[in-house]
Amino acid sequence: MGGGNGLEKKGRLFLKCDVPFELYDIDLQNANDEDLIYISKNMGLALSLKEMKRIKDYFSKKGRNPTDVELQALGQAWSEHSCYKSSKVPLKKYIYGIEEDKIVAREDAGVIEFDKDYYYVVALESHNHPSAVEPYGGAATGIGGIVRDVVCMGAQPVAFVDPLFFGPLDLPFSRVPKGTKHPRYLFKGVVDGIRDYGNRIGIPTVAGQVVFHNGYIGNCLVNVGCIGIMRKKNLVHSRAKAAGNIYVYVGGKTGRDGIHGVNFASEELTEESEEKSRSAVQVGDPITKEPLIHVTLECVEKGLLEGLKDFGGGGLSCVCGEMAHDAGFGAEIYLDEIPLKEEGMAPWEIWVSESQERMMFLVDERNLDEVLKICRRWDVFAVPIGKVIEERVTKVFYKNKKVLELDTVFQTGGPVYDEKERPYVFRKKRNEKDLLFDLPDLKKVFKKLLSSPNIASKDWVIRQYDHEVRGNTVIKPLQGVVGKESHGDAAVIKPLEGSFKGLAVTADVNPRLLEIDPYWGACSAVDEVCRNLVSVGAKPDSLADCLNFGNPEKPEVMGDFYETCRGLRDMAKALGLPFASGNVSFYNESAATAIPPTPELVGVGVVEDVRKCVTMDLKKEGNHLYLIGETKKELGGSEYTQILGLTGGVVPKTDVSLLKRSMETLLSLMEKGYIKSCHDVGEGGLAVTLAEMSIGGDVGIEVDIDGVAGGKLREDVALFSESNTRWVVEVEDKNMVEKNLRDKSIPYVYLGRVKGKSLRISMGDKLLISEDVDEVRRLWKEPIWHYMG
Amino acid sequence: MKKEEIRVAVLRIEGTNCEQESFDAFARLGVKPEFVHLKRLLGIDCTKEECRDIFDYHCLMIPGGFSAGDYVRAGAIFAARMKSMLKDKLAEYVKEGYPIIGVCNGFQVLIELGLLPGIDEVISEYPKACLMTNDSNRFECRPTLLKHENNGNCVFTGKIKKGEIRLIPSAHTEGKLMFPIDEQKRYVKMLEENDQIVFKYVNPKGEYAGYPWNPNGSVSNIAGICNLEGNVFGMMPHPERVFYRHQHPDWTRTGKLDEPGDGRDVFESVVEHLIKRF
Repeated sequence: MGGGNGLEKKGRLFLKCDVPFELYDIDLQNANDEDLIYISKNMGLALSLKEMKRIKDYFSKKGRNPTDVELQALGQAWSEHSCYKSSKVPLKKYIYGIEEDKIVAREDAGVIEFDKDYYYVVALESHNHPSAVEPYGGAATGIGGIVRDVVCMGAQPVAFVDPLFFGPLDLPFSRVPKGTKHPRYLFKGVVDGIRDYGNRIGIPTVAGQVVFHNGYIGNCLVNVGCIGIMRKKNLVHSRAKAAGNIYVYVGGKTGRDGIHGVNFASEELTEESEEKSRSAVQVGDPITKEPLIHVTLECVEKGLLEGLKDFGGGGLSCVCGEMAHDAGFGAEIYLDEIPLKEEGMAPWEIWVSESQERMMFLVDERNLDEVLKICRRWDVFAVPIGKVIEERVTKVFYKNKKVLELDTVFQTGGPVYDEKERPYVFRKKRNEKDLLFDLPDLKKVFKKLLSSPNIASKDWVIRQYDHEVRGNTVIKPLQGVVGKESHGDAAVIKPLEGSFKGLAVTADVNPRLLEIDPYWGACSAVDEVCRNLVSVGAKPDSLADCLNFGNPEKPEVMGDFYETCRGLRDMAKALGLPFASGNVSFYNESAATAIPPTPELVGVGVVEDVRKCVTMDLKKEGNHLYLIGETKKELGGSEYTQILGLTGGVVPKTDVSLLKRSMETLLSLMEKGYIKSCHDVGEGGLAVTLAEMSIGGDVGIEVDIDGVAGGKLREDVALFSESNTRWVVEVEDKNMVEKNLRDKSIPYVYLGRVKGKSLRISMGDKLLISEDVDEVRRLWKEPIWHYMG
Repeated sequence: MKKEEIRVAVLRIEGTNCEQESFDAFARLGVKPEFVHLKRLLGIDCTKEECRDIFDYHCLMIPGGFSAGDYVRAGAIFAARMKSMLKDKLAEYVKEGYPIIGVCNGFQVLIELGLLPGIDEVISEYPKACLMTNDSNRFECRPTLLKHENNGNCVFTGKIKKGEIRLIPSAHTEGKLMFPIDEQKRYVKMLEENDQIVFKYVNPKGEYAGYPWNPNGSVSNIAGICNLEGNVFGMMPHPERVFYRHQHPDWTRTGKLDEPGDGRDVFESVVEHLIKRF
C-alpha cells in the first residue's frame, strides 16, 4: 500500500503505457480469479473478488482494459467507507425515514431549521484508523475533515465535539499488543492533535466524552463532530447546477499523504498497519484551513457558488464524480494545474489523494474572476480544473492523455450487501440474571468510583481546548464556582448576535451496556443524550450517530449492528428525533481486540432563551434535593460492578413515555425558574451524581436515600445503580415542584438538603457515606493528572 | 468627536480568529469597527478602493488567535509583516495619541513589534520583552481574575477603579511575560514607576497567587501592560469574551444578567477616551 502502485511483480498483468509519466493499463481481460485478487491486494484496492469481476465485466463490454487511475477510482468509490455497502440495508431499515421532514438537507452534514432565518448544521464522523496509527495527525485531520463538512454546506462552524475511546491508562506494557501503541501515548497524541488544530482554526471544542475500556486497546476510537449555523439563503448543495459549471480547486496542495485512507479504513488493523499505512494518514495544516473557511464563507455570502463540496475520503475522484452525478451530469477534469506537494506524482495518486485543506467550488463562468480574487486576497490557492458536462461520464486528462473515462452511474453505483452477503446472527444473551454478591465496603467503593478514570475529572483534556473562542459558549463544559468546577451535562452556544436562542450539545454512549445488550445499550445512549440536554434546559431536537463497530464480515458483528440500529430507531422514533447526520465505521478491530459496539451519539437541543439555562453545580445551602425517576436493580454494565470485577447482569431499560413526560415537566419547571441546579444520573449512579454537584458548588449535602430504596433495594443498588431517566434537581420552592411532579405522575424521591462542607448520605439512621467536599474533589480530580501529568 | 464617528480597524491575517467577537464588542457600543486584512494596509492584492491607511481609523485592534500559525514565535510573523512596511507610520500613529489594543495573540504581536513595553522609545528595533511558553507547557483555557493596578495612565481602563478585580478568561500557550533575565527586576520596577502595569493575576481572595490563578507563570503576575503614554495596551486574557454577564463562566450562580460583563469596560474606556481626546 501507499507510495507505489506495487506493480513490479506479475508484470504481465501491469502494462506500462508509452507516456512520459507513470501510467499502467491493467490486463483484467487476461486475469483469472487468483490474478484479480492479487491485483486488488497489490494495488491496495481492498475490493473483493466479486467486485473485481464486476469491474472486469464492465471493461469487457467497453472492449478495453482499465488504467490504474480507473481501478484506483473504483477502489475508492466502492470501499466500505465511501459506499456503506455493509450498512446500507440495516440503515435503510431502521435509521432513515425518522422525522425526515425536519431535515432540510443531508449531504456532508445535516441541515435543520434553527429559527425563521437560520439553519443549524451537524456533522459527525470517525477518524479511528488514522488516529490508531498516528494519533496526533489522525486526530488533527479528523477535526480538519469535519469542519469542512460543515463549511461546505455554507455554514459558519460554531462548535466541535470530540468523543474519544481508549484502552485503560494503567495498562501494563506487557499487555500492549505488538504493533499497537500504549493508551497513554494515544490519549496524549489525540488530545494534542485536536488542541493544535481546533484551537488554531478558532472554533471552540465544547463537548465530548472520554471512555476507557479494554476493548479499545488495539483500536482506539476518535470521533469528531461539528455544529454550524447559517442563513437560510446561504445553503449550498454538493452538486452541480448546470453543464458548463466550472470546477475550481481551492486550498492546499495535493500530496502523497492520505493515499488509500478509505481503503485503509475498510480493513482491520494489523501488526503491520503502522508501517504499511502511515501514508494513509493525512498531514494537517490549520493555517491553510483557517483562511479557506473565510474564503468559502465569503463566496457563499456573495452568492458566487453553484455547488460546493469538501475533499474527504476518496479525494478528487470522489468529489468530481459525485458533484456531477448527483445532478445527473458528468465531468471533464484536467490534472495538470493541480498544485502538488512533491514532484513525480502519478495521475492515480493525484486523483485519489486525500490531502487536507482542499475544497471544490462549482462556479458559473461569469463569477470566476470574483471568486479567484477573493481567494487571492486571503493567499488561498485557487485554479479552475475542468467543467461539468451533459454526458454522464467522468473524463480525466493528464498531459494531453485521457487517463480515465468512467460512467458516473457505474462509478457511484457501488455494491450493496444484503442479508445474504452480510449475514447476521444475534449473540446469545449473556447472563440476564441478577448479580448476587455480598455488600462491599461502600465508603471504599465510593472513593474508587470517584477516582475511576471513566468518572474522574477530565479537566486535563477540557482546559487544553479553547472552549470559548468566538465568545458564544454561554454554558461551558466545566461548571461551578470559579476554580472548583465540575463536569457539566451539556454545553450551550448562543450562535446569533441578535437572539438569545441557544443550541445545546452533548455526546454520549456507554459501550459497556452495549457489550451486554446492544439493543438496550443503544436505547440507553438515546436516553442519556436526552437527559443531558434537558439538564441544561434544552429541548432535544436532533441526533447524529457515528456507528463504530468491528469487522462486518463477522455475522455476530452485523448482528450487533442490527440490534443497535433497532434500539436507536425505537427511541428516536418515539421521541420524534431525526438523525441529521451519520457515519459508519467498521473494521475497528485488530488481531488482539475488537471494540464493543459503540454507537456514539451527538445530541443537539434547542434553548429558547439561554438566560434560563441551568447548570449542575449546587447553588445554595438550605435548598432541597430531589431524585427524579425510578431506581431499579439494574447493575449490568455499571461502573460499580466493573470496579467489583463482576460481569454481566441486567442492563438498564428505558420507558420512552416516562422519559418524554419527565423531559417536558423538567423543562417547564426550568422555564419557570424553579430548578436551581440539575444533573443527570449516569455512570456511578446517584452517589456520584450528588458528589459531582457538590464538587462544582463547593458545598455539602445531607441526604437520606431511604425513599430511593423504598424498602426493596439494597443500599448499594440505591447508591450506584445506573437506571435510566433519572436526574437530581435542587429546588428552593418545595411545594410548587412537588405539585408539578405529582400532577404529571413523575416518580420522585425527596433526598434532603444542600448543607455544610461535607457529603453525608444515609439510609434511615445508618450513615453510608460521609466525606469532606474537598476530599471528594481531590479523589475525583487527581487521577487523570496522575497518569498524564 | 462623536461616538458614531469613531472608526476602529480590527486587523487580521490568516490564523487571526477572535476577530468576530472583537468586532462585536466595538459594534455594540455604537462605534464603527471594520475588518481590515493586513494586505489592505500594505496595498497588496487589492484595488484602490480596497486599500486602507491606518490613519483612516481612530483605534487599531489586533485580536487573538494563531496568526500565521504562531510558528516561529507567537505573533512574530504578523509583526514582521506589519513592521516591514508600516514601522514609521505606526510610530507616528502612536505619537499622535491614537490607541492600539492587542489581546492574547495581539499582545504577542505588540511585543514582537516593539510597541510594548515602549519604555524608552515608541517602537523599538528589537523586541524588549517576550511572552514565553506557559510554565505548565500547555494551552490553558480557564477563567482568570485580574486586579486592576493602573493609576489612570492606560486609556483602555479609565472606567475601572484601581484595585478592582475582574473575571476575564485566558486561553493561550504563550503568555508568560518575561524581560531579559538580568534586567527583569529593573524592567518591572520601571513599569511600576511609569504606571505601565495594568492588570495582574490574583486568586479569589485578591492575592497574587501561583498556578492556576496565574495561568502562565508571568513575572510579577502581570497580565497586561501599556506603553509609557498609556495608548498602546496589551493583555493576555480576553475582555471581548466577557462583554455580557451571560458569557461569564459562573453566571448561573451569580445572576445579575442585567449588569455588564467584566470585560466591557475595556472597550467603553477607550471609546470614552476617544470622544474626549479627539
